[in-house]
Amino acid sequence: MYSGFQSTLQTAKTIASLEWRLEWRQGHQIASVGMFALSSVYVAFQAARNDVSADAWSAMLWMVYLFSGFTAVGRLFDRERSSARRYLQWTVDPLGLMLGKLAHAIFTTTGLSAVVLCGFLLFLGWPTGETAKMGIVVFAAWLGGLSMTTTLVFVTAVASQVKAGGSALGAILGLPLLIPQLILATRLTVGALQGTPWSLVAEIPLFLTTLCAGTSIMACILFPYIWRA
Amino acid sequence: MRYWNSVWKMGGILLLAYVIVRGFGTPLQPGLVEANPSRLKPGLADLELKAVGQPFAEENAPIEGHQLILKSDQDLIATNLTRISPHSVQASVVIPDLLPSPALDAFLFTPSSGTLFLGNAFFVEGAGTGPVPQAFAATPPAEVDPNLGFSFPYQPNIIESIRNLLWHVPMWFAMFFVMGIGFVASLMQLRTDKADWDHRSEAAVRTGLVFGILGLITGSLWARWTWGAWWVSDPQLNGALVTVLLYTGYLLLRAAMGEDERVGRITAVYNVFAFVMLVILLMVLPRYTESLHPGKDGNPGFNSYDLDNSLRAVFYPAVIGWGALCYWMYTLRLRMNRLEYRLLNE
Repeated sequence: MYSGFQSTLQTAKTIASLEWRLEWRQGHQIASVGMFALSSVYVAFQAARNDVSADAWSAMLWMVYLFSGFTAVGRLFDRERSSARRYLQWTVDPLGLMLGKLAHAIFTTTGLSAVVLCGFLLFLGWPTGETAKMGIVVFAAWLGGLSMTTTLVFVTAVASQVKAGGSALGAILGLPLLIPQLILATRLTVGALQGTPWSLVAEIPLFLTTLCAGTSIMACILFPYIWRA
Repeated sequence: MRYWNSVWKMGGILLLAYVIVRGFGTPLQPGLVEANPSRLKPGLADLELKAVGQPFAEENAPIEGHQLILKSDQDLIATNLTRISPHSVQASVVIPDLLPSPALDAFLFTPSSGTLFLGNAFFVEGAGTGPVPQAFAATPPAEVDPNLGFSFPYQPNIIESIRNLLWHVPMWFAMFFVMGIGFVASLMQLRTDKADWDHRSEAAVRTGLVFGILGLITGSLWARWTWGAWWVSDPQLNGALVTVLLYTGYLLLRAAMGEDERVGRITAVYNVFAFVMLVILLMVLPRYTESLHPGKDGNPGFNSYDLDNSLRAVFYPAVIGWGALCYWMYTLRLRMNRLEYRLLNE
C-alpha cells in the first residue's frame, strides 16, 4: 500500500497512462487534433504564400497553436461528464487526478508543438533563413504551448462542471487568460527568428515559466474543491 | 456607533465632492509648452515662448526681474526680453556661430513663479561646434522661492490632464479593494459552503468590474492625451484588459450555470483563480518589464507620480472617497443578493 503523497503520485501515473491508452485506442481523437493542426497550417500557408515576415510567421504559428490547443485540451474532462465515469472517479484522489491530467496535457502539448512546428517548416520554411536561432524557436514553441495548455486544463475543468455548453464556455473563459502567454510567446518567437541574442529575450521564458507554474499550482490547489462539488 | 453607517457614506460623498471641486478648480502651475520659431540660424533672432497654467506674470508686468537664458550643453546664452504677457514672453537674441550642441534649452526666470523650463526648445542649424564665446555668456539670477499658492505641478506632456490622477488611479485602487473582498469571500465560501459568502463574492466582482471598466475608460482617455493613442500594447494595459475580461468570465460562468446548486462553489474556485491571476498580471509581471505606464519601472511607489503636497491633499481624499463609494455600491448589491435569495427560498 502507498501512503500520502506517494499514493497521489501513483494515482496521477495511473490516470495519465489511462488517458494515454484511451486516446491511443480511440485513435480518431488524436487524429482529429492532428488533422485540425495540419489543415490550419496549410490554410496559413495558402493565405501567406511567399514572403512571410518573422512577425507574420510567428503570428500564424500562435494562432494555429491557440485553436489546436483548444481542440486538444478542451475535451480533457469530457469523459468525466458521464455519470458512470463520475462514479468511478468519486473514489479517486482529486489531486492525483489533476496531476495526471496535467501530465497528459504536457504530453499532448509536446506532440502538438512538434506537429505544428514541423508543418510550418514543411510548408513555410524559416522566414528569416540562417539568422533564426532555431533552437530557441523550438524551445519557444514548446514552452509557450505548455504555459497555454496548463492554463487551459484548469479552465476546462471549471467549464466541464457546467451542464450545457461547457466546451464553448471553456473557450470563452480561456481566451482572455491566454492573452499574456500569447504576447510573451510571440515576442520570444519573433526575437528568436530575427536572431536576437539570448540575453535580451532570456526574461521571457522566465515569465512563461512563472505563468505556467502559477496556473498549474492554482489548478492543483483548487481542483479538489470542484471535484467535491 | 449608532450612526456610523450613515457617517461613512456621507463622509465618502463629501470627500468626492471636495475632490471634484478641488480637482477641477485648482490652477496648474505655469510651464513652458511651445517655442517659436523652433529652428534658428546664427545671428540675430526674435523668439517667442508660450506657457500654460496659471499666469506667471501680471498683464503689463515690468520686464525687470525676469530673465530668459538659453542653454547649449553646459554653456549659457543671454537674451534680451522685449515683452512679457501673462502666458508668453518675447525676446531677441544673437545666436553665436559656435555652439557645443545645436539643441537649446530655455530657462525663464521669473520673480513670482520661479524658473520655467523647456527642454530642446530651439534647434540651431548652421553653427559650428565649439564653446560659446564669452561675449554671449549669461549669468543666471539667484533662485527665488516662488509662492504659487495651492496649485498642481506642471509636467511636460501631461499638463492639465494631471487631474485625471484623481479619477483613474483611485478607481483601480477601489477595484483592487473590492476584488480583494471578493477573494476573501470566495475563500470563506470554499471553507464553509455557506450561501452568504457567495452573495458577497458576486456583489464584489460585479462592483469591481464597474470600477475596472471605469479605470480602463479613464486610462484610455489619458493615453490618448499623453501617448497619442487610445490604446497601446503595454504590459500594464494588457494586464488590465485581461483582468476585466477574466472577471467578465466570472459573470458568464455564473449565468451559464443558472440554477445549478453547485454555482457558489464552482464560481468561488474560479474567483480565487481570477484574483491570483490579477495579482500576477497587474502587480508582478509589469514591474519586471519595460512599460510606458508610470510607477512600474521597478519602483511602484508614488514618487514616480511626482506627487507634491497640493496633489497629495486631493489624491488621498480621492482614494478614500472612491473606495467608500465602491464599498457602498458593494453593500447595496449584497443586500439585493440576500433579498433575492430569501425570496427564492421561502
